[in-house]
Amino acid sequence: MNQHSPLAASNFLSRMIRVVLASGCLALGLATTQPSFANKANDTLGMAYDQAPENIDPYFNNVRIGVIIAANVWDTLVYRDPLTNEYKGQLAKSWKQIDPRTLEFDLREGIKFHNGEDFDADSVVFTLNYVSDPANKATTQANVRWIEKVEKIDQFKVRIISKEPFPAAIDYLSTTLAIHPAKYYKEVGPAGMNAKPVGSGPYKIIEYLPGKSVTLERNANYFKDSPKAAGKIGKVKIRFIPDRQTQMAEVMSGGEDLIMHVPKDQAEKLKSLPHLQVLSGNTMRIVFLQMNTREGTPAPELQDIRVRKAIAHAIDREAILKNIVGGGEMINTICTPSQVGCSSDGAPIYKYDPALSKKLLAEAGFANGLSIDIMAYRERQQTEAMINYLQAVGIKAKLGFMQYAAMRDLARANKTSLTHQTWGSNLVNDVSASTPVYFGGGSDDVSRDPEVIALLNKGDNTIDPDERKKIYNKALVMISEKAYALPLWSLPVYYVANKDLNFKPYHDELVRFWEMTWK
Amino acid sequence: MLAYLLKRLGLAVLVALTVSIIAYMLLYLSGDPALAIAGEGARQADIDLIRKTYGFDRPIIVQYGDWLLKLVKGDLGTSMYFKTDVAPLIFSKLSTTLLLALYALAFALLISVPLGVLAAIYKNSWIDRACLAVAVVGQAMPNFFFALILIMLFSISWRMLPVSGSDTWQHFVMPAITLGYYAAPAFMRLIRAGMIEVLSADYIRTARAKGLPTHTVIFKHALRNAIVPVVALAAVQLGFLLGGSIVIETIFALDGLGYLAYQSITFKDYPVTQIIVLLLSVIYILLTLASDLANAWLDPRIRVA
Amino acid sequence: MKNNKALYVGCGLLIVILCMALFAPWLSPHDPYFQDLTYRTVPPIWYEQGTWLHPLGTDQLGRDYLSRLFYGARISLLIGTSVALISGFIGCTMGMLAGYFGGRIDMVVSFLVTTRLSMPVVLVALATVALVGSSMWVVILVLGLLKWDRFAVVMRSATQQVRAMEYVSAAQSAGASTLRILLTEVLPNVLPHLIVIATLEAASAILLEAALSFLGLGVQPPLPSWGLMISEAKSYMFFSFWLIAIPGTALAVLIFAINLAGDGLHQWLTPQERG
Repeated sequence: MNQHSPLAASNFLSRMIRVVLASGCLALGLATTQPSFANKANDTLGMAYDQAPENIDPYFNNVRIGVIIAANVWDTLVYRDPLTNEYKGQLAKSWKQIDPRTLEFDLREGIKFHNGEDFDADSVVFTLNYVSDPANKATTQANVRWIEKVEKIDQFKVRIISKEPFPAAIDYLSTTLAIHPAKYYKEVGPAGMNAKPVGSGPYKIIEYLPGKSVTLERNANYFKDSPKAAGKIGKVKIRFIPDRQTQMAEVMSGGEDLIMHVPKDQAEKLKSLPHLQVLSGNTMRIVFLQMNTREGTPAPELQDIRVRKAIAHAIDREAILKNIVGGGEMINTICTPSQVGCSSDGAPIYKYDPALSKKLLAEAGFANGLSIDIMAYRERQQTEAMINYLQAVGIKAKLGFMQYAAMRDLARANKTSLTHQTWGSNLVNDVSASTPVYFGGGSDDVSRDPEVIALLNKGDNTIDPDERKKIYNKALVMISEKAYALPLWSLPVYYVANKDLNFKPYHDELVRFWEMTWK
Repeated sequence: MLAYLLKRLGLAVLVALTVSIIAYMLLYLSGDPALAIAGEGARQADIDLIRKTYGFDRPIIVQYGDWLLKLVKGDLGTSMYFKTDVAPLIFSKLSTTLLLALYALAFALLISVPLGVLAAIYKNSWIDRACLAVAVVGQAMPNFFFALILIMLFSISWRMLPVSGSDTWQHFVMPAITLGYYAAPAFMRLIRAGMIEVLSADYIRTARAKGLPTHTVIFKHALRNAIVPVVALAAVQLGFLLGGSIVIETIFALDGLGYLAYQSITFKDYPVTQIIVLLLSVIYILLTLASDLANAWLDPRIRVA
Repeated sequence: MKNNKALYVGCGLLIVILCMALFAPWLSPHDPYFQDLTYRTVPPIWYEQGTWLHPLGTDQLGRDYLSRLFYGARISLLIGTSVALISGFIGCTMGMLAGYFGGRIDMVVSFLVTTRLSMPVVLVALATVALVGSSMWVVILVLGLLKWDRFAVVMRSATQQVRAMEYVSAAQSAGASTLRILLTEVLPNVLPHLIVIATLEAASAILLEAALSFLGLGVQPPLPSWGLMISEAKSYMFFSFWLIAIPGTALAVLIFAINLAGDGLHQWLTPQERG
């Protein structure tokens, strides 16, 4: 049926091939002119992060990158030196404790926000009163609900009054309590702050495409007396790249200069690439396995302490820590070891003992095993390793892997059973920022033990440091003894960066752009 | 023609309404929506307040009707996660996905037209089978696997293309290849079948007998006729591409509608999920309507069917 | 028939994979769920660090990959066949009724098909699984309830064609009931088209499961589904390529075999379309 000659056919074929090749070469030629937007030559640092904040206003998001951006774009009254743990004045010159509930701050003069507005007492008063008002629904209530009110004494003097004596106040004020420009914030609110963010920090935001990227530029007018130095690198562009492997590909191909939270296995392999450096450090983030023992829990078997202890003994924490987690250290109480008031003296240590596990399960009536849900939102490999250990003693754990906000809401709605939880205490180096969050009777507490709650409340309000430590220790030991949650380990963080970047990781996982330089 | 147009339009509206009901009902898949919205350890009083505020205590029909009415007026609701209006949120991401889908369609046609033509000319030979194999290769593996392999080759090894983002057209090359490859076999088969039919037609034999060179025959006469059903298929495939871009957008960090849909599902942000499902369906309905009308205009026999 | 290499190769490969699935417990050197954290990501035998203890290496939790590959065949085949059966049953019933009775029933079915086609499948599947909870059976059910459209369309036109044939009117005048005619006259003649569609839908279901697993909403660990294995191995792609290449190749071969067998079947059963 084809009536063309073989010669004509081959002519045609060869023509087609030539056309395809020609256009292919053209395409290749065009493709090599790629934009180089993130490198030393442009004095632009390119950083990739997976989760974009739902709102860039520090009080209305709960993601790590939100905290990082907050520290670089905004200032706080006080600054905690990451190496000495000493508190230095930042927006405030000095402060003194007037009475157990009142702190008075003398503010620095001559500081301007990125939009030109002046910093003074009004900024502090309006910002803190606004975010501590529950009606305004700040996302991280734990950071602000200790504030009763803030009063202006004169143009550069304020008083912060807490609801009850709160020894950790200075630490909270040094971490995430950013100060907004009062006039601007009053006018636009959190929605406007998200649309066009304004702070006073060493970097200002020059472009923000929600969900895509945020570009920072160094603030040339940053006030010289700040313990944070003015930035040296001209620009920082943070891109939101949800997929881990894509982030790795970017850093391998030179498209980005810095990524964090690289899984240990991949980080170690990336060391072998000549243009990259791999840095790691321990962090304040602790990992623990929560067990929902509240009334109405979907897993009532967890209300039996034998089942909880069985779960605790089923998991080989040392093996997981050594082989999967990497750096980091084992913890035996639910608090970050470096935090003031945290201790593990006297707490039981749950050794890996699957035989004991099975025995306890049988005693509790589950000789044939049981089925249970386990929720997680990160470090999935660790969750899977735990699931496998649980399976070995007859506990069939079904994994629900989801975003943090979804898991948090499920837990608050009493719909979780086992939760593979992590907590970074929002950088606050005080035990009141960790243990009470999960055991102090608040919405994230899935144990609701009245004794523990009472002890934690007492500790939160005790001023004497030794007495405080004793009370907290009692609560922590009680939590471990009752196996409400299994303390696991602290997480290391692996950073992979361009070799030409001078970068230092810190214990608080805060990326300090203002310190970084090119080699 | 007018009668056909009205009939098709009516059908399109009916389908759109049905899909809107399904999209709305997604809210109820997990049980009580008031509970879902109240979220954070809410007390019964809070839940009841929410139920009243959002109107969940009314009969479902009334709720649906109210939602639909608001939609028609342009009020697409408010995102619970982003706490902004849904309309600007969606339209800011729509352009990226549309661009991706168009690039993908272009790529699909780019490889399937030559393959289809070749396969038709050399039908039943090894060339024919090879063309089919090439077209089908992109469908045999999961798209995220394919995407990452492309990244390994083009970005890491050869440094020819940027890995992720959506700034320039180069950023869309790999996503377009990954997404478009899935549509290629359908086009290829269609073109091949159409070309085979046309090539054996009388007027083609006449053209050849007249001594016209082969490629003139193919491009000027045969392809022009074989291409007509392809246009119809292209419209339909565009609809599928728009709806199937979630994985590609996640891997290549293209902040488009697919990724927004994924986020809304993960964060249980129902208002956004509902609108996206409805929007994609409406676009698909419009595309098929357009392609049906175009077909009917070109081929009058269809109008009677 | 002798030229039908497609059918032979395709079916041959499918039989091999089926055997892998059926005889997995006997073929597997280890328990696919047994994790050994000291033996993580051991490479397969053709690398120098490989060992015959684990011919295809181990995964990120130290589980033997060869065993997981065999058991994974079960899951993938199960998903593909179940979805094809469920969607096939729904689609064929609807298509046959529409094609045989025409009129209003036809209108309703066509309307349902158009509506179903308008919905973005991946999104709706994702949303449903996210809300109802993800497990293998939920995935199968959701995909089965969504992917019946092609069956319905093909069945409908094939039924219409068959219905016009003489032997159907002969059967009708002989007093046979509708159901009987559908089953004994229509169905056997439509079967070839059905099988081809079934193969395509099975392949597509298997790939959709992989995509759902990648998004975290497919089959849940520690189940060794190939789709989940590929998705988990993604993290190791750049430095331990075999972890993703092995299940990826297996999946590609399965899809390829299904397509080939389907094509071959189509050719065999409809010789007049070959020319």
